[in-house]
Amino acid sequence: MALLEYAIIGGILYGIFFSLVAIGLNLIFGVMRIINLAHGQFVMLGGFGAYLVTSSLGLNPIFGVPLAVLGGIAIGYPLYYGVVPRLQRSRDPEMLSFILFFGVAQMIEAVMTLLFGVDERSLPGEALGSGNFGVLGQQFPDSWWVAVAVSLLCIGGLWLYFSRTRLGYATRAIIANREEALATGINVNRVSAIAFIIGLSLAGIAGVFVPYLVGSISPSDGSDLTTTSFAIIIIGSLGNPLGTVVGGLVFGVGTMLMQTFYPSWSNLVPYVLLVLIVLVRPSGLLGKAVRNA
Amino acid sequence: MSSEPLLRLENVGKRFGGLTVLDQLSFSVHGGEIVGLVGPNGSGKTTTINVISGVHQADVGRVIFEGHEIQRLPSFRIAHRGINRSFQVPKCFREMSVRENVEVAATFANRGEVEIDGILEQVGLTSQADIQAGSLTVNQQKMLDLGRALATNPRILLVDEIGAGLNPAELGGIASLLTSLAARGIALIVVEHLLDFLNRITNRVIVLGAGRLLFEGPLKEASQDPEVVAAFIGG
Amino acid sequence: MRKSIPSLRGPAIVLAVLAFVFLMAPEFYTNHSVLLTMMTFMGLAQGLNLLYGFTGYLPFGYVGFFGTGAYATSLLVTFTGLPILVCVLGGGLAAALIALILGPLLRLSGAYFSIANLAASQIIYFIVANEDLKSITGGPYGIKIEQVYAPHASYLTMLALLLVVTALAAYFRLSRFGLGLKAMNQDPVSAAFAGVNVVRERLIVWLVSAAMAGMIGGTYAWDLSVFYPSAVFTLQISVFAIVFALFGGVGTVIGPLLGAAVLYMLYDGIGVSAPQYFELIYGALIVGLVLFLPNGLMSLLTRRRINVL
Repeated sequence: MALLEYAIIGGILYGIFFSLVAIGLNLIFGVMRIINLAHGQFVMLGGFGAYLVTSSLGLNPIFGVPLAVLGGIAIGYPLYYGVVPRLQRSRDPEMLSFILFFGVAQMIEAVMTLLFGVDERSLPGEALGSGNFGVLGQQFPDSWWVAVAVSLLCIGGLWLYFSRTRLGYATRAIIANREEALATGINVNRVSAIAFIIGLSLAGIAGVFVPYLVGSISPSDGSDLTTTSFAIIIIGSLGNPLGTVVGGLVFGVGTMLMQTFYPSWSNLVPYVLLVLIVLVRPSGLLGKAVRNA
Repeated sequence: MSSEPLLRLENVGKRFGGLTVLDQLSFSVHGGEIVGLVGPNGSGKTTTINVISGVHQADVGRVIFEGHEIQRLPSFRIAHRGINRSFQVPKCFREMSVRENVEVAATFANRGEVEIDGILEQVGLTSQADIQAGSLTVNQQKMLDLGRALATNPRILLVDEIGAGLNPAELGGIASLLTSLAARGIALIVVEHLLDFLNRITNRVIVLGAGRLLFEGPLKEASQDPEVVAAFIGG
Repeated sequence: MRKSIPSLRGPAIVLAVLAFVFLMAPEFYTNHSVLLTMMTFMGLAQGLNLLYGFTGYLPFGYVGFFGTGAYATSLLVTFTGLPILVCVLGGGLAAALIALILGPLLRLSGAYFSIANLAASQIIYFIVANEDLKSITGGPYGIKIEQVYAPHASYLTMLALLLVVTALAAYFRLSRFGLGLKAMNQDPVSAAFAGVNVVRERLIVWLVSAAMAGMIGGTYAWDLSVFYPSAVFTLQISVFAIVFALFGGVGTVIGPLLGAAVLYMLYDGIGVSAPQYFELIYGALIVGLVLFLPNGLMSLLTRRRINVL
């Protein structure tokens, strides 16, 4: 019984955090209908940002969060204007963006491997609190709680952005119908650029905590993070950023249950979930039934 | 027209989510006949064509063609049997030449030899035969769409809003093409908003309203039918 | 009427050149493993081209079929002792069987298909490499089939497979079947109303493409004869096949062969000693291709209305 409770509560925490890992991918897809296949690499960059913050500057890894936002702006702004409008004019933006960002992913991975080598890096274990904090008698490390708190803040912030700000309204309008948003005079390009930057920043912020929840980070972790994020947003609902949380919870609880009871098969969880969901319900658990012929 | 109809719909129903788009729809069409399908937007005209041509499957009811039920068949089998269609927004093979577009249909339909040049002439694209379909005007693409359908030697042709955006001369050309097809024994179901155009090629129309058959008969009488009037004004 | 039988001269020349080059190459260049791996990637790029170039479905998990073939062949050798060529054929069948099971993925379009296919290949990998299956697959410790090691025979088999997959690409490009593929690639609905059995044609291409990857994987395993699961399931294999095919130009017969030959030589030159630099180069290459040359090297010719096979 205790094991089951541990797995479920841990799964919920893990799932909330992975919602943050995946949400940027969904935001960018929802707004731009392009697929950022380098998403996991941006998460990984966030992790290395936090590593630099602690190892070179001797600061608390939490300072990796503002660094991730700065990085999101510094990389996102030129990357958006360099490729996205051009992709959207092409004959098949979805597929071509998929291939292009795959190239971007390879470049990021290569550069990071050249800079940092192939070794796994971890962050100082005590930096986010050295104790455990229990819920319903189940103990989890403080770092998990910090990660979950930051995840909830980010997701809540995104929700406020969508529901309370003019830009957020415009973003939702574009998600709902790009052509109509254009027709109503929304500056689609600018709103999209901001969404792109937010998407990358959220990925980077998540990356700060990956070394704590997963154990370590290395330049080659990006592609696994991308596929896991994909699984999560497809389980939730593609193009609906807040639906990501549902996908994250399903993934988190599923993974923790497997890790607890069948540890040697737990790495299959995101992939099996993904294949099952796309075959049974391609629009995700929350999505309306749509499927391209 | 007491002979066995070529195509018969029996109590066909179709829902999308909670919305009923076709409700207990029944009618029949004989060879060589032109039937106009009219109704306000959203009344189920295009869905009717989609169900007959296998793009959508009916939830209930039967579609009977030459005595066989076809409501479960995929589109390509329906094309093999001799039902074909054009699309409201023309769908061509954009990176193939006009001639190749027609050739693909002639090659795969398995419905006997067809004269490609003759079809190109009928749809008025002889001089465009070797240019890419993607570079045709929209109206020319509509004609090519029709040509692709004709290359399958159809017994029934479903024509979805071919008239929109055409000038009177072009409409006249299409009207005489459609009547000549009917004279060859091909049955046509023509979805059209342009009632003058319909009036020129047929006097039998089916009026749909909210997925139900409201009226079936001569076009002139349709405008006197209170239910039809209500549907058009209300819709 | 329709042009009669398309000329077979083009495909014949391509096949003859391929056969000649790889039959003569060992006389001048003695590194067996480089030549064999080069043929492997040319074959994989061409096999992926069969699917992506002719139907538009990009199989990111293409390596799953390669690995399946490698393992099925090795397991057949280990447990049945059938002649090796039969085992390689069995590797192709096993891959086709996996493709058949994954057939419903073809209902998905674009990126959904690619990602789901990638996930499927990871599932196969994790199952094969799982510690719990050590007694059958060797799990993470790999598998050995040294008893059939015969480098000359595996070299010739790989060449034969390369010729077969290239002949298939030529068939897809020139035949009536290929005309149907071309039509459904441009507009599947219209193709159906032209009478093309879109679902069946697509499934056939999918199975054939998977079977080729399976047999190529089986032959590769035969040539290695001792390998870890990661060697035949690494995502790198999918990645190379995709990049090589895109670089040369998908939808053509020569493009993927040329792309694979050129880039593999580049990889062999700088990639083995400094893989990150090579990764950086092909990452940049992909970005550049999508932005400036989305149809690959071959489109430099077709743009000038030069007909290429």
